[in-house]
Amino acid sequence: MPDIEVKSSWADEVEDDGNQKLPEPTETIKNGVKTITEYTFNENNQKVKIVRQYKMEKRIVSKTIAQRKTWPKFGDSHNDKPGPNPATTIVAEDVYMQFITNKEDSDKPDDSGINKLKGMDQNVMKCRNCKGDHWTTKCPYKDSLVLANKAAEEKKPPIGGMEKKETGGKYVPPSLREGAKNTDSMSHQRRDDTLAIRISNLSENTQEADLEDLVKPFGPYSKLYLAKDKNTNCCKGFAYVHFKFRADAAKAIEMLDGFGYDHLILNVDWSKPSQN
Amino acid sequence: MKPLMLHGHERAITQIKYNREGDLLFSSAKDHSPNVWYSLNGERLGTFNGHSGAVWTLDIDWQTRFFMSGAADFTLRIWDCSTGTQLGNIVTRSSVRTCAFSYSGNMAVFTTDKAMGHPCEIFVVDTRNIDSSFSDNDPIMRIPISDSKVTSILWGALDETILTGHEDGTVKIWDLQSGKELAKAREHTNSVNDMQMNKDQSMFITASKDNTARLFDANNLMALKVYKTERPVNSAAISPILDHVVLGGGQEAMDVTTTSTRIGKFDSRFFHLVFEEEFGRVKGHFGPINSVAFHPDGKSYSSGGEDGYVRVHTFDQSYYEFNFDY
Repeated sequence: MPDIEVKSSWADEVEDDGNQKLPEPTETIKNGVKTITEYTFNENNQKVKIVRQYKMEKRIVSKTIAQRKTWPKFGDSHNDKPGPNPATTIVAEDVYMQFITNKEDSDKPDDSGINKLKGMDQNVMKCRNCKGDHWTTKCPYKDSLVLANKAAEEKKPPIGGMEKKETGGKYVPPSLREGAKNTDSMSHQRRDDTLAIRISNLSENTQEADLEDLVKPFGPYSKLYLAKDKNTNCCKGFAYVHFKFRADAAKAIEMLDGFGYDHLILNVDWSKPSQN
Repeated sequence: MKPLMLHGHERAITQIKYNREGDLLFSSAKDHSPNVWYSLNGERLGTFNGHSGAVWTLDIDWQTRFFMSGAADFTLRIWDCSTGTQLGNIVTRSSVRTCAFSYSGNMAVFTTDKAMGHPCEIFVVDTRNIDSSFSDNDPIMRIPISDSKVTSILWGALDETILTGHEDGTVKIWDLQSGKELAKAREHTNSVNDMQMNKDQSMFITASKDNTARLFDANNLMALKVYKTERPVNSAAISPILDHVVLGGGQEAMDVTTTSTRIGKFDSRFFHLVFEEEFGRVKGHFGPINSVAFHPDGKSYSSGGEDGYVRVHTFDQSYYEFNFDY
């Protein structure tokens, strides 16, 4: 594996001499490992030492294969030394086959960590009425039983998302202010939020029509919001869909999460309600 | 797994193939020199210099004596594998798009593109003696194709038939003796990009631009399985030891304009041969994958992409242990 050490202070000292002095490359073979040490200059005119290690293996193969190993190199490789030439052969980084089964998602170890954190979070703050992550006293669902226990859900915070209602510093119309007389309209809007799903990892050229086609089969929805860049009108990668029925929203999440749409894999989840 | 990245080409890879014993991997690209590598450690054995156009196709005979390549410079050249010297050359009227040695190595078939007034044609030539007179010999058989051009070719059982995949999605069997079309299958709706046989040559898989790959019976072209994806499939291969197929594809380089081009995003997809379901993906290429091939022992596979890299992957233990739940 190539290993680059930059000896900067030593190079600085030597610089005045006219840095032509480069030690000769050395090759050592020890315990079946060949180590080649080369010296070269990098872009900043610093001396760089490159150490490459090759494991030398003896394999027993059939006669024809062994014979082919003795062929001299030809064409562009004519001047190559025995062993892989680093200009042409590189060991790439580890890649793992992502296994996909129709039931579970592919095994990504980092995700489970986040899930654990979310689970913990929910235990901390749970409204006794609707099991949402807010305190009971301010729960607008005092009168509704729509939200049965959804304790198992994961609620990711919207990443750079623009929630429908931005509080703090923005003009809030009278109907939405605190102490507004129309609690019905508030709970309506709140109710929409809990039926909202967030779809992320959308490709750039997704439009509203595509989003509509994607969610239409699951049931009626009250609102579609596709985040778009103001200047280019490209999709920013995420969207919110407010369904009319919870069952439809749940079904949409189940079917669309991990769904391959326009060469990207969608992430679909419940939309985390704004923190009021 | 730590794949080996073979960087011998400056342009997009067009095809990669292992020799019969699997110790050598041949790659052709749109630059003019096919390369040959030792598949074990990725060491390059050599390059075949001589073509003056993009090399579209290659094949190796079963003894790894001769290497054949067809290019856009209107030639089909046969080279000596051990020294890289050119042995024979056939000049054609248009680009050579596909080529294949017969199972015995005694014959070779190649097709030319439809261009400049010349129709697409299938040529079958004798390859028992390859010397300077090779180009002067008459072909054993010459079949003009009037409808859509041939994009992919395989030899059928006992070297008696030839299987061709066409630009309109049809797959045909031709009889070698008579030059007549024996059977036809219209399953794909768009161009067949690649066809590869399974180990015992009873079935073959076709990769098509219509976003699917299909498995056919090699004798009667019965459609057996369909593997669906959301992007054009450029190449497909069947594992010789397990019930897996690998598909490589991706959008054409020209179409990738506003789509998300995150680095290393293009992946090869593994499907179960029988259940037609995807069970794994391997990322790594920086561009669409143009050719995939399984090593004859099934323990590794390679993919060549539009980015000019050939990646050789050796499977981890987890691949063998993976059990498809059904």
